[in-house]
Amino acid sequence: MQVYRWLLVAIVALPLAAQAQSGREGDTWESLAKLPELGGLWEITFGGGPRGPGEPPSLTPPYAARLKSYQEAEARGDIQDTPAANCVPNGMPGIMTQPYPIEILLTPGKVTILIEAYSQWRQIFTDGREHPEDPDLTFNGHSIGHWEGDTLVVDSVGFTTDTALGSFGMRHSDQMRIVERFRLAAPDRLEIETTITDAEALTKPWTATRAYGRHRDWTLAEYVCQQNNRNFTTDDGKAGINLEHEGQP
Amino acid sequence: MNASSTVTKGRMREFACWAVALAAGLLLGGVAAAHHSFSVFDMQTDKVIEGEIVEFQWTNPHTWTWIDVTNADGSKTRWGLEGMSPNFLGRRGWSKNTFKPGDKVKAVIWPLKSGEPGGTLQRATLPDGTEVVNFGRGPG
Repeated sequence: MQVYRWLLVAIVALPLAAQAQSGREGDTWESLAKLPELGGLWEITFGGGPRGPGEPPSLTPPYAARLKSYQEAEARGDIQDTPAANCVPNGMPGIMTQPYPIEILLTPGKVTILIEAYSQWRQIFTDGREHPEDPDLTFNGHSIGHWEGDTLVVDSVGFTTDTALGSFGMRHSDQMRIVERFRLAAPDRLEIETTITDAEALTKPWTATRAYGRHRDWTLAEYVCQQNNRNFTTDDGKAGINLEHEGQP
Repeated sequence: MNASSTVTKGRMREFACWAVALAAGLLLGGVAAAHHSFSVFDMQTDKVIEGEIVEFQWTNPHTWTWIDVTNADGSKTRWGLEGMSPNFLGRRGWSKNTFKPGDKVKAVIWPLKSGEPGGTLQRATLPDGTEVVNFGRGPG
């Protein structure tokens, strides 16, 4: 019995020890030091991407019809704004393209992205775990990642359908999957190639690449959207603004 | 023109480009809008108002500049002007002290379509003649 126990320990422990030694990239402080240095803040560059805005996504008929009716309602003035005016964060993928900087932190087994807009964050597990079998559906999804040389490849699933694919009328299903490839195209230029697949909403994968400039001297600033939000959207999409001010003459 | 003012000018031009792009929703190639749409503002009209700063709210998601404008009959109307966030402006030369209560300023705005006394602040001229760009087409 004792022998079996030791055998069991050996079977479990040896591969673990070997892994710790050879190392999954980004699993130890030592291996992090060999990865690209991503310090400072990153802000999306004017124009968005190195190759322009890219091709629009190819929507399946029901999702194309939904977008069309949304756009018609916008043109009629029936829909004037989105829940973001009420401080609801964009969720993925839109939260990665806000006109506010992001910070990328590498720690053993995890990459954390701090997103100034709406004070959001994403955690990307690089410790070898898989997605949960039946993930909870969230705004920013569940992300796992690994390094292919100097490129961080991130795979995300588990998105709530409350968020949009692009403009707010362009929606996705809970089958949406996002693969992002992060790489330094130049010392102070980060490019993220984002490929979205969604068997229900898209007829083919949709890829866009966006560039971010480095600002080493910036630090993140607080963004509490509810602090003094005077914009609002009603449940049926009408926009409004609150002009009440203390001591109005 | 010295080097630093050239840099400032270049920075300002980039800033104005940003602002126009944001306003037009061009920046993100239709991928994500910023905080809200501009449906309530008349972006075809540059309206000029002159008055006295009552309060400059250095807050998210927008700064708000409150100006009392004296009307022809001597009465006053308080205008509320939405601006870019402290996060955006703070990285581009603005601070919570850019406008002080009592400052007499001239502001170029996109007015509310509703006719209420409010709008989007594009730029303003400070008491010492300095022009500060918040949003929109910028100087020139």
